[in-house]
Amino acid sequence: MKTFDGYRRPDGSIGVRNHVIVINTVGELSALTRKIANLTPGVIPVIHHGGVAQFPEDHTQTLRTLVGTAGHSNVSATLVVGTENDPIAQEIYKILKKKGKPVHTVCLNKNQKIPEILHEGRSWLLTALENSKKEVREQCDITELIVGLECGGSDAWSGITANPSIGAFSDMIIREGGTSVLAETTEAIGAEHILASNAINREVGREFLDIVRTYEHRIKQTGEDIRSANPTPGNMAGGLTTLEEKSLGCIKKGGGTPLKEVISYAGKPTEKGFVFMDTPGYDVESVCGLAAGGAQVVLFSTGKGSPTGSPIVPVIKIGTNPKVYEIMSEHIDINAGKIIDQNKSINDIGKEIFDKVITVSNGEKTAAENELNQEFAIWRLAESI
Amino acid sequence: MVDDPGNYLRQDHLLIPSITAGRKVKVAMGYSFKGYMRSDGSAGTRNNIGIISSVICSSTVTNEIASKIDYAVPIVHSNGCAQLGDDFSVTKSMLSGVAENPNFHSNLLIGLGCETNQVTGLLAAIPNVKPIDGFSIQQMAGGTNTVAKGVAIASEWSKDITNEQRTDLPISKLKIGVITTDMDEQTLAITTPVVSALIDELLENDSTVICSLTRTLEPSGKILATKTKDTRSKEMLKTLSEGLNRRRWENDEGYALSVFSDEEKSLAAHEARLLGSKDLVEFLNINEKPSNRGLYLLKSSDNIVETISNFVSVGCNVALIISKEGILTTSNVIPCISLAPCNESQIHRDHVDFYIARGNEEKQTVTLLEKLLQVSSGELTALEEYELGEFAIPHIGTTF
Repeated sequence: MKTFDGYRRPDGSIGVRNHVIVINTVGELSALTRKIANLTPGVIPVIHHGGVAQFPEDHTQTLRTLVGTAGHSNVSATLVVGTENDPIAQEIYKILKKKGKPVHTVCLNKNQKIPEILHEGRSWLLTALENSKKEVREQCDITELIVGLECGGSDAWSGITANPSIGAFSDMIIREGGTSVLAETTEAIGAEHILASNAINREVGREFLDIVRTYEHRIKQTGEDIRSANPTPGNMAGGLTTLEEKSLGCIKKGGGTPLKEVISYAGKPTEKGFVFMDTPGYDVESVCGLAAGGAQVVLFSTGKGSPTGSPIVPVIKIGTNPKVYEIMSEHIDINAGKIIDQNKSINDIGKEIFDKVITVSNGEKTAAENELNQEFAIWRLAESI
Repeated sequence: MVDDPGNYLRQDHLLIPSITAGRKVKVAMGYSFKGYMRSDGSAGTRNNIGIISSVICSSTVTNEIASKIDYAVPIVHSNGCAQLGDDFSVTKSMLSGVAENPNFHSNLLIGLGCETNQVTGLLAAIPNVKPIDGFSIQQMAGGTNTVAKGVAIASEWSKDITNEQRTDLPISKLKIGVITTDMDEQTLAITTPVVSALIDELLENDSTVICSLTRTLEPSGKILATKTKDTRSKEMLKTLSEGLNRRRWENDEGYALSVFSDEEKSLAAHEARLLGSKDLVEFLNINEKPSNRGLYLLKSSDNIVETISNFVSVGCNVALIISKEGILTTSNVIPCISLAPCNESQIHRDHVDFYIARGNEEKQTVTLLEKLLQVSSGELTALEEYELGEFAIPHIGTTF
């Protein structure tokens, strides 16, 4: 049985990082939250501008994402910055407390002076940081790993090199008892029948086709053509000509293992194996959903080169061609372009990805972590009200 | 049943009892402020460099460039890719509007390269009236090169700014955003006489005042419609009493936006008085710039960061934010003066710039106008002192 060294949490989940984070509940507190993090080196700010003036469907999704992020197994301790009597802060606190995770809320009383608020937040975080240093990694079973599968800035090589290699990795980790979560519903359009036919049963297949159909319906309601935004200008410069072509490449990240479950944005897989999460093609929002759903590591193939990361999960970048690996090497961890010019096979790169996932899970930093890329964006569904 | 205007709002709701509209208020500094004149005729109350990301993917690099340059302000946000139609149009126009804001001396646009919202498109959309440049991380072969080139360009602009001086400018150069949040009747009762008199005075002196039309003001649409001669605005405002057409994808009949309670209607009636006695020139949609001087209403949301950012993008160079207890965020582009009613406990909150008390409204109006001119001339607001500026682009649809 393959193992890695992770952090065992009181609720039994396993983290591959031991972050101390500060997160805001509503947009009004974003700057203050950032300021608290800046005053406490080592603490990661998780900042967003939602949580308020949202329709119910957006509010529910925002709350689910914030709870999933704040309570993530890669997080050692969480400071929640909320308003007075803040229901979001109360909900996060209740859930995290139940999980046994160190959590504290600074629920602002506007009669407090700003230095007092900053001091309260910083004091708790300093103690949380000290406590986090006492936590040690221990040997964990690879079956505990959930790996998100993502692509961004795809090119014509994506579906030939990096994505099938990620697919090979996905099959490998599932054979070992782990879980992989494919995402980006947009980029299943035109190839959905292939994934659906590979579902473990007809019900799961139908569920998957339903989310793709709903997605297309939403797009039609705007009176727009999805093809006017996807492929993006960069995709086209990289040689992709249609969304279907992009989708056929995208789904290869799922490998050949049957699809076991379809989950909502920021939802948690209930089964081990190959899972699909309903996310937009917007990569940062998609990674945010994967992380909030419990993925401890995300694989991210890129044909054009993208620096983005996540505040809470390591994101491993896989370049699709030798040129992008050469010119954007500071942002890329693995060169799948070796399939083109170094006689490597898809399985060779799949194995390289597998080994990288283990070393990163053991603590090795990714390119995005080295560059402090901590982008965070929650998928929005409707207009602010 | 759709209410007639007279059902819950009366014309006299719009009258301000203690201040006579249009009376000249004597201000010690005179009707001028010290600002930065721009070549397009607009005036800055600050003189900064905008480092603007076209997409979230370039936000880390954008922040890094801004952190290395004096006077640089990072404009980072969550949008810029996988957007369609009107939602994408809002992102583009917000960013070009921010670049045009007179508080920016110059602008550097930073993209990733493969995103929907291309830097070249933004450069083409932004009027060429001040120094501007832009490129992408992929074009520069990585973040390190992008930061180096960005710093080289922006540091030259920074040197220019060091040598620039403020000059005396007429108050008519001010474009003032008036934003309400967290409103209740008591707050409105105390602040309305002073704020409405100030708005009247600013309009008498040819300034432009843009007020926010958030959800709390929506039920007063029919009365607001009587304040404008613009046919399009009149029609749009009339329908407000039935709720603004905010877009969503799932219909939840249990969450109707068009039904307002008596309490909401009453609050809206009070808030409508805040606008003062002058006619509205137009009702502006999200991110629509005013075409002339005068009084405008701008569609916005109850998300304060998105709303303040919206005011930045339509060209406001200063704003007043009225709330019950003050707010804890501001813009990183324009100074926002935080106004709150003086409460019974007389607690001094360090994030509030100006307290309004009951009575003596005329004197308080003069003092508030003086404060506005001082802040426009460079005095930092409380939230600027604490560096709590933010920027966010509203979504009017989903991302794909």
